[in-house]
Amino acid sequence: MSDTPDGTLADEPPPPARVDGRRLRSERTRQLIIEAYMALVRETGQMPTAVQIAERAGYSVRSVFERFPDLTALRIAVTDHAISEARNTGVLRDLDADRLTRIASQVEQRGRGCEHWLPLWRVLTADAVHSPELQQRIRMIRQLIVMRMEMMFRPELSSVSDDVRKKVMLALEALLDFESWARMRELYGLSFEEAAAVWVKSIDRLLPPTPDGP
Amino acid sequence: MTGVVSAPGVDGRRQRSERTRQLIIEAYLALLREDPHVPTSARIAERAGYSVRSVFERFPDLLALRIAATDHALALANAQAPLRDLDGDRATRIRSQVQTRAQTCETWLPLWRALIANHGGSPDLKDRIRMVRTAVMQRLETMYRAELSTLEERERRNMLIALEALTDFETWARMREDHGLPVEQARAIWIEAIDRLLPPTPVS
Repeated sequence: MSDTPDGTLADEPPPPARVDGRRLRSERTRQLIIEAYMALVRETGQMPTAVQIAERAGYSVRSVFERFPDLTALRIAVTDHAISEARNTGVLRDLDADRLTRIASQVEQRGRGCEHWLPLWRVLTADAVHSPELQQRIRMIRQLIVMRMEMMFRPELSSVSDDVRKKVMLALEALLDFESWARMRELYGLSFEEAAAVWVKSIDRLLPPTPDGP
Repeated sequence: MTGVVSAPGVDGRRQRSERTRQLIIEAYLALLREDPHVPTSARIAERAGYSVRSVFERFPDLLALRIAATDHALALANAQAPLRDLDGDRATRIRSQVQTRAQTCETWLPLWRALIANHGGSPDLKDRIRMVRTAVMQRLETMYRAELSTLEERERRNMLIALEALTDFETWARMREDHGLPVEQARAIWIEAIDRLLPPTPVS
């Protein structure tokens, strides 16, 4: 039997139930604040204020700042939550299909992703220059998008040199950017299907030829 | 008589006032290049070498100054990017267009970012953003008229949208800032991608 650093006795039965309950409630509050932030961004397309977030989540402003030291920390937590959600929902499909099916599948998934995440992406990237953590998340999101394309178009990309592959990927990344999708939908007024058709055709032109199967 | 005598004085005042206006616009643009946040009137006045009152004697508010500065930048950017090699072969036209576009992106990216990030819902500034995009589209259409003429209308529009996305300011910024590519390599990527995107050039 010995004393532990926090002053309790080592063989004393721990009082976990109440502590766990508090922790769970605190975690739940944190989660609701994150969800309130995301809901407000989707509705307004603007970075919400602490008052708006607290009101939407059903807590006080103090509760918000008890869990997040400032709004940038909250923005980072929201981004991490979104990355995790996008990873869980963005399942790779049609990996073994023919070229056009894979292109269509990639475009469908990316188009849906842009529709869903564009408001948050815009809030995330606004002023990110002042936060290394946010910049790191932006890089991570871009890398995930690129990795996905590399997997979807592996047959075509594996048939060319590293230099050509890099050039193709940079062009594809530019083409499939959030704001490229936004311009098609908002500025040029294309429907989802029309915008997807622009991407499908362009990817088909940019990709190297598909090597013959085994 | 009176009018004849006072004319040079009036003209001189007008010229000085116009010069002050110009210096305020240039101060605003210089500050934006250094920091993408919209500068305050105090900083603009300080940089231009005038009082805050002088700024607001020439512009009713900061939005009016931002619009004037954007118009000035657009005129300058346009003058710096004349259409060249319109009658050149496919490779020459692509190279020429990429060279001009890359130069524009290098020079005007900070101001473009400031305009996009801080238009604050102003219809006038949004108009300018649309104007820039329309000008980019028109230039693409002019440079690649031969290739685009082989496509039906909807295909032509789609091709222009893809070309515009590919050669957007932020695409250039990513190649230069995120991927650390030198200007020459970034241009080469655009040249190859445009060549792949465009339909075959018709035989004249």
